[in-house]
Amino acid sequence: MTELQEINKSTSAKKYIVPIGPQHPALKEPGHFQFTVEGEIVVDATIRLGYVHRGIEKAAEQRNYTQVLYLVERVCGICSHSHGTAFIQCAEKLAGVEIPPRAKAVRAIAGEIERLHSHLLWLGVASHGGGFDSMFMYSWRDREIVMEILENFFGNRVNYSVNIPGGVKEDITTEFIDQVTPKLEYLKKRMEYYLDVINTDITFRQRTVNIGKIGKVETDKLGATGPTARASGVARDMRITRPYDGYDLFPVNIVTDDRCDLNARFVVRIKECIESILYIIDVMNRMPDGELTAKMPRKIPAGEYMSSVEAPRGELFYFVRSNGTENPDRVKIRTASLCNWGTVVSSVAKGHKLADMPMILSGIDPCFSCNDRMVQISRGKNDSEVWTWEQLRKYGIEYYQ
Amino acid sequence: MSAPHPIICLLLFPGGLMLLASSLFYEWLERKLVARFQNRIGPKVYQPVADMLKLIVKEEVIPKSVNRTLFILLPIFGFACVMTASLYVPMFGVDAAIGMSGDLVITMYLLSAMSVCLGMAGANSLNRFAVVGATRTLTQLFAYEAPFMLSLLLPAIAAQSWNIATITKYAEGKTWMMLTLPIGFVISIIGVMGKLEIPPFDAPEAESEIVSGALSEYSGRGLALFRIAKNVELVVCLSLIAAFYLGGIGNPLLFILKTFVLLAVIALLQSSLTRFRIDQTIGLWWQVGAILSLAQLMVLIMVKVL
Repeated sequence: MTELQEINKSTSAKKYIVPIGPQHPALKEPGHFQFTVEGEIVVDATIRLGYVHRGIEKAAEQRNYTQVLYLVERVCGICSHSHGTAFIQCAEKLAGVEIPPRAKAVRAIAGEIERLHSHLLWLGVASHGGGFDSMFMYSWRDREIVMEILENFFGNRVNYSVNIPGGVKEDITTEFIDQVTPKLEYLKKRMEYYLDVINTDITFRQRTVNIGKIGKVETDKLGATGPTARASGVARDMRITRPYDGYDLFPVNIVTDDRCDLNARFVVRIKECIESILYIIDVMNRMPDGELTAKMPRKIPAGEYMSSVEAPRGELFYFVRSNGTENPDRVKIRTASLCNWGTVVSSVAKGHKLADMPMILSGIDPCFSCNDRMVQISRGKNDSEVWTWEQLRKYGIEYYQ
Repeated sequence: MSAPHPIICLLLFPGGLMLLASSLFYEWLERKLVARFQNRIGPKVYQPVADMLKLIVKEEVIPKSVNRTLFILLPIFGFACVMTASLYVPMFGVDAAIGMSGDLVITMYLLSAMSVCLGMAGANSLNRFAVVGATRTLTQLFAYEAPFMLSLLLPAIAAQSWNIATITKYAEGKTWMMLTLPIGFVISIIGVMGKLEIPPFDAPEAESEIVSGALSEYSGRGLALFRIAKNVELVVCLSLIAAFYLGGIGNPLLFILKTFVLLAVIALLQSSLTRFRIDQTIGLWWQVGAILSLAQLMVLIMVKVL
């Protein structure tokens, strides 16, 4: 008997684990999941993240605010604008700079275009996970329209860098409005068509209705954010609860659903896309006049500020501490995917079929490289501890071994 | 049309080279149609040939943990099974190369042997995706096999013969059995999709869960053989259905056209449905498929007797 067979024999008696990742066709980014299965039923699930740790928080401490703005946009390729906005808001608030209303409107529009392209991307990925490849191809073709808008207007398809300290660098011109409006109207029709497919297609409903159910109370308790929370009836949206740049001038409508299952997550995201399209068209036609930038000092006064932005995946949280120099003293990022993992691992996964796992996983729209940080859960109330650099280094070496 | 010498049948036409070439063409047609239905451009006509050539010249990795002999022999056996099955079936509108009473049962057996080979290939490996894939392949075999067999037996009962040639002759003289036995026709089409693990019945090789199922450990020649075998199986099954349900052989050109139409139907179904979970597949076949085909059988027997 070979060594492998022996290992397998010794473990298979206890439980049968199907490993997903770090390299797996279903995963677009590396992550590791272990599903313990009995036949097709998943009885336990564990998760291991941290394959794409890049040390961005540390790198941010060695750059000035303008450089960090471009650095944090690279945390996530999909929600680059949200990261930039969340960071630069902190810097602007610390410096006491109020950006002009026109810049606010441009930021809000860019944020909504980003939401559109992120949700369309997710729609494709999630339907591919369930084996509905036609939806995947259709939605990604429509996403190309959004990408074209981004490219034509902001110059880039992914890291479009609309923000600069104190405002934005691109203006919404009348030509842009004329060019974009028909495209958005076409997209709205497409989104209505997808909503129809999701609600009526029998085979698709078989795979999504009553799958991955997580109740309102539990969602709230686990701290889920974004569309994942809103699909469980938790009205949590940073654009409404703590309106920031743009959304304070032009309020946006919240989309919630009480059905708490996978289908609700599809419905919420698609309805959000429709809302976004209406919002963009509305704001473009009511653009405030004025400057695009306000003067921003190079050195930011000492202080601390926290800002939250509603990224496509949920609440994106930034904490920035300044010590009065050109560089930030500390930048702390907490992304939306990290808050939502709990809903998958803790309760939803168990008891489902293995075949539902890809859809349940992609149901929270995970973004792996956003997640890479150390998490330690302390059970007691007052047992906070400070780790030294050596301890952290040792932990890191052991973790990656 | 009378059948040529058996050796020619086996190596050149309608078996052998002709069948291999046409199976690659059918694969291309299916991929192209699905691509067009999905709003994509799709592959060029030589793409399947290029794929196969690439696989054949690639190194074949044999994992340490598998039974070497089985690992090498299973693809060859599966391939041989479907190639043999093609000899009993009127391929491309030409009479079957070999015929005997009861060859329908042999054909169905040979076609199922291919699925069993696939399942064994997965179970042979220690790879967890392959084992789960193999379980699903064999589970699915039990799901679609009975209704699919019934759907092919319906024309046999109508013609009161187990011989494929007799059934095709009978089918030629009558109205298309697609109209007289509609449920059997539909079940046979969906049965082919289940047999070949075509979406939405592709749970055994769902790439987002279990990589490529039972074939996860295969590379190079073994994978190429399995893929060619599947393509050949598709052509054989389509020819069989066309001969039984779409008015026998008749004009060879028209016959080939009929198989293309069947392929288009399969492509349309496969691009418009979401993948079934394996439990849903079984539920569908036993709760709907089996009962409907039994009902069709009852109706047929009643008509025959009365």
